[in-house]
Amino acid sequence: MESAKAFRVPRRALWRAGAREASPAFLFLFLVFVVPLSSLLLRSVTDPVLGFGNYEHLLSDLTYGRVLLNTFMVATVVTIVTLLLGYPVAWLLVILPTRVSRWMLAIILLSMWTNLVARTYAWLVLFQRTGVINRMLMEIGLIDTPIPLIGNLAGVTIGMTYIMLPFIVFPLQSSLAAIDPAIMQVAAISGARPYQVFFRVLLPLSLNGICAGGLMVFVMALGYYITPALLGGTSTMMLAELIAVQVQSLLNWGLGSAAAFILLAVTLALYALYARGLGLGRIR
Amino acid sequence: MSGRAPCVVSLRNLVKRFGATTAVDNVSLDVGEGEFLTFLGSSGSGKTTTLFIVAGFEDPTSGDVLVDGVSILDVPPHLRNIGMVFQRYTLFPHLSVFENVAFPLSVRRKPKAEIEAAVTDVLRLVRLETYADRRPNQLSGGQQQRVALARALVYRPRFLLMDEPLAALDKRLREEIQGEIRRIHQETGVTVLYVTHDQEEALRLSDRIAVFSHGRIEQIGTGSDLYNAPRSAFVGGFIGNSNFISCTVAEGGNDRCAIRMPSGQICAIRGSSPMATGQLVSLMIRPERIGLSTTASQAGPDCAIKVRICEATFLGESVSYKVTTEWGQSLAIREITGKSQDVPLNSGVDAYARWHSADTHIFAT
Repeated sequence: MESAKAFRVPRRALWRAGAREASPAFLFLFLVFVVPLSSLLLRSVTDPVLGFGNYEHLLSDLTYGRVLLNTFMVATVVTIVTLLLGYPVAWLLVILPTRVSRWMLAIILLSMWTNLVARTYAWLVLFQRTGVINRMLMEIGLIDTPIPLIGNLAGVTIGMTYIMLPFIVFPLQSSLAAIDPAIMQVAAISGARPYQVFFRVLLPLSLNGICAGGLMVFVMALGYYITPALLGGTSTMMLAELIAVQVQSLLNWGLGSAAAFILLAVTLALYALYARGLGLGRIR
Repeated sequence: MSGRAPCVVSLRNLVKRFGATTAVDNVSLDVGEGEFLTFLGSSGSGKTTTLFIVAGFEDPTSGDVLVDGVSILDVPPHLRNIGMVFQRYTLFPHLSVFENVAFPLSVRRKPKAEIEAAVTDVLRLVRLETYADRRPNQLSGGQQQRVALARALVYRPRFLLMDEPLAALDKRLREEIQGEIRRIHQETGVTVLYVTHDQEEALRLSDRIAVFSHGRIEQIGTGSDLYNAPRSAFVGGFIGNSNFISCTVAEGGNDRCAIRMPSGQICAIRGSSPMATGQLVSLMIRPERIGLSTTASQAGPDCAIKVRICEATFLGESVSYKVTTEWGQSLAIREITGKSQDVPLNSGVDAYARWHSADTHIFAT
């Protein structure tokens, strides 16, 4: 008890000193994040008339409703597919010898460091009607007419999954690496079949990483713009595109702001749910 | 092991190579029903690798592992029906003590009532029945290892593997849990293969001990076999304390022979194996087998060498001496107090160290 008391005084002093050092960053964030966000919030309830008309409009109009629904569907599908694909990769990174896993890591990072627009256009080249994939499939006789790979959910999902993969692999890898391999061995020798070892030991112990990575990808996917805009069509419009159209083409700032705030509110709600479920301290 | 007793586990010429290094080098042994057999050796001696081959976590390069006479090399670990306790704490951190112990039965899809009864029984056996609802991180290291032991026993495996389960515990706790392990072994009659680097732990727990060195079994036998009749200098040095003196054979012979001490003095010894005259040998004597006397005449007929007392430490039931020989080697001597008529000798005094030829061991070098 006494040592804890003695420790509290210098710690508060330390905090104060740290706050001083960090104040430029805080000021920067305040000026470029809090202030514009507040003005945006203000706009969403004042433009064109005072009140919650923009929100009402967004949530009641069937077209906007479809965009909202579509946004959540794409984000959900992308998160699930990324998790399914990323989990084995993260596991491999943990169990492979360092020499090999370092190469794998480099390849994953390299794809992250390549320009996003360039990568998305690359998919466009591959996916279009006369693109490499369609021509190859027709060449081997699997299909007669080109299958539509862009302008629909499939294209958006593939393109976004590819971009999100590293963001799920890294948190998963760190949570899997923290598991002692002897725990899996003891589960096996206790009689657990491989699938039981996975579902009863490995999966629960890596839940932390699954949630952290899943949340990150889901939230990023909710607000994604370039990939759905290029690979999707009008029927797969997502919220970010809606905001862009409202603000850029229609100069409807009020509705755009309201849409942005719905996105932010959903993100914060998800984060709160996650923080409550797993404890805030565990987020890395 | 006599042929009549049934063998639970048999290792047949096990070899395990990792690249150029041979971790396990032609290991063969039989473990009898209900036996407590310990692999004793320093780290890197191949004992843990051998255990992991039995568990199925490593495949041998060659050789075979038989359980009740049937090879289990093609059987995956989860079907081997072996219990195992690891060196590190391996309780499932997301499960309670009860759920941890129930895990082996639950993956076998046993009925709930049966699981409940078995877990309660085995938790009582390790005396942790009141801890069933705790999480592993609420337990001490010793309690965690007892839960791990309960988890390894709950499904009544054919035999139990223990890989240095007490290595992470402090000395007092270690002795306490050694007692628990011995009691549980006696109560359950389970066959145990135990790995340790601690000779005292091996002597305290085991029916038989296999001394490992460089992937090979140097000697296998009861604790007193290994102590009283070591077959190599390594075993003699590993189990208990010992003095080694480099000598040459002065006169070879089958039963009795004579060796020349570094001082030139000739001593008769009991020859364990035929030796050629002139051969270099190492003479081993346990500290408690050497007596001290002040005059040569008291020394008796066997062998006595002149020494100078360097250090005398009174330890209650015994006096521990450090003496220097004429050729400058330091020897350890332990005399039981009250047994000898002499009062404890002071340091700096010249004396005679004597021993019976039957108490010496001789090893070729």
